[in-house]
Amino acid sequence: MALSEKSQRQIRKAWLPLLLLLISPARSLWAQVDLTGEWSPRIYNDGRDIGDYTGIPINDAGRLRAETWHQDQMDLPESVCRPHSFDIGLRVAPAQLYISTQFDNATQQIVAYHFHAYWSDFMVWMDGRPHPPEYAAHKWSGFSTGHWEGSTLVFITDHLKEGYITRTGVALSEKAKVTTRVTRYGNILTMVFIIEDPAYLTEPYIRESSWAYDPQQIIPAFPCEPLPEGAIVPAGHVPSYLPGKNDILTDFAQEYGIPPEAALGGAETTHPDYIKKMKQMKVLPRTTTKHYIRQG
Amino acid sequence: MATSGRRNGESAAWLLVAVLSLALGTQAMAQGFGARTEESGTQPPTARTARSVAPQDLTGYWESIVTEYWRLRMMVPDKSDYVTVPLNKEGARVADTWDPAKDEAAGEACKGYGAAAIMQVPGRLHIYWQDDNTLRMDIDSGTQTRIFHFGGASAANETASWQGFSVASWEGTRPDSQRAGGGGPILDGGTAGTAGTVGAPPEELGGVRAGYLKVVTNHLRPGYLQKNGVPYSANATVEEYFDRFADHGNNWLVVTTVVTDPQYLAEPFITHAHFKKLADNSGWDPTPCRATEAR
Repeated sequence: MALSEKSQRQIRKAWLPLLLLLISPARSLWAQVDLTGEWSPRIYNDGRDIGDYTGIPINDAGRLRAETWHQDQMDLPESVCRPHSFDIGLRVAPAQLYISTQFDNATQQIVAYHFHAYWSDFMVWMDGRPHPPEYAAHKWSGFSTGHWEGSTLVFITDHLKEGYITRTGVALSEKAKVTTRVTRYGNILTMVFIIEDPAYLTEPYIRESSWAYDPQQIIPAFPCEPLPEGAIVPAGHVPSYLPGKNDILTDFAQEYGIPPEAALGGAETTHPDYIKKMKQMKVLPRTTTKHYIRQG
Repeated sequence: MATSGRRNGESAAWLLVAVLSLALGTQAMAQGFGARTEESGTQPPTARTARSVAPQDLTGYWESIVTEYWRLRMMVPDKSDYVTVPLNKEGARVADTWDPAKDEAAGEACKGYGAAAIMQVPGRLHIYWQDDNTLRMDIDSGTQTRIFHFGGASAANETASWQGFSVASWEGTRPDSQRAGGGGPILDGGTAGTAGTVGAPPEELGGVRAGYLKVVTNHLRPGYLQKNGVPYSANATVEEYFDRFADHGNNWLVVTTVVTDPQYLAEPFITHAHFKKLADNSGWDPTPCRATEAR
């Protein structure tokens, strides 16, 4: 049963294919960390009011931008169908999510994860491609590259257009970079978003969202047609508040009994010891204890 | 014939390569899934402890960083402010009867510090191994202690308490445990799922060990999901997932909590909390349970 010399030579020549065969299954195993499928959001009314910057490590420039924002800006023709930046689309606006993979036909390796949500749609490139240069176009979806850390998909997004952190005017600059960590806990998918924004934040801002596995889910269409200029907001008018002139800025703090200073956020307000500090702060006379009803 | 013989030789060689590849590939996979081999009996189960197979080091001091739901966590919300909680009608009815003075008088000021809510209460954690299969978490807010039992510990005859009985396991250490249902049921009844074993030794990817801590808690005294009397019942089950990572020079611990309570909740209630690692115990500030304070 001894192999002929020729066959032995053939086997010696075959060491490279053998090595490749050995490597291939080991690389593909982690493709079985299956993030794909339909995911239903579990976000319970994270509505924020104007003037609510609580828990956000916002800086003075960020406060100024937020203070001058007017809710009617969303009715401008260019804003009506404006999509969310990818992270606010996943965190703040409850969004059904569908995750799929894109394969390289030759290698059967995952080239990208495709995240499709009601509000946002983006790719996470897994093939090691570099991020484009700074001068490249910025988009609502940004540009994302990912890698695995243990059982967590980690991706970094930049090249975002200027957008928002909240739906009530806290701005996100085009310089922002977002690190997203996606971990599947059985039938729960949790994403952790860490936002760096040198323009409007003093330190990274961290927040989370979860989805439940829901294979029967159907993501609705998002039909949207901009109205002609002047249809809602008078033509040529851009609603805004001049600095110091926002007369509803303290309504949130007043109605909830929060010290106005605390409502303006900042990194210090995120620590437990800030609770003691708040006890020394003045609170505006409350006008209601039923404010929450407006949110429900 | 010479050509045919050569082809035969090549075929034999390639067949041998294929067989060897399959055999060695299988061996490599078996090595990668060493824990399965161990679980099947080649190594005594007692050789593995929860501490020895831990994919993450959760020990140390951690501080809450409250970046969301701030008004519900850093303050005591107003009565009936439960817009973020999927209460059923009975849950809403009970929440509307909240009376903190009555709780204080009845010696039940700790109702807002139970396992279903304690991760939401701003404060600090001290996590350490009580023994090789028991992870302990001391919490300065309300001066509470949680015990996470690994290795299939049983809750038989356990008296209901604020922190209940917690069964822990390392999950997600293997790719196939990430498939649907691998981490136990979430939406179909909230039973203990697969938790209870020590967990398999982790694999590595990207230089990071795969896996997270899963904790399932029941045997709870009825308590509050929020400090303003939003109730959970003695029938509640709490599933938690603890995950540690580093980012921007900080070490973070993120906890995803799923509370299932058929008595007061219309559906499982999911919350998150994140904690930043502290260098030491400075700032540790034990407080008593207080019904009218945020912590």
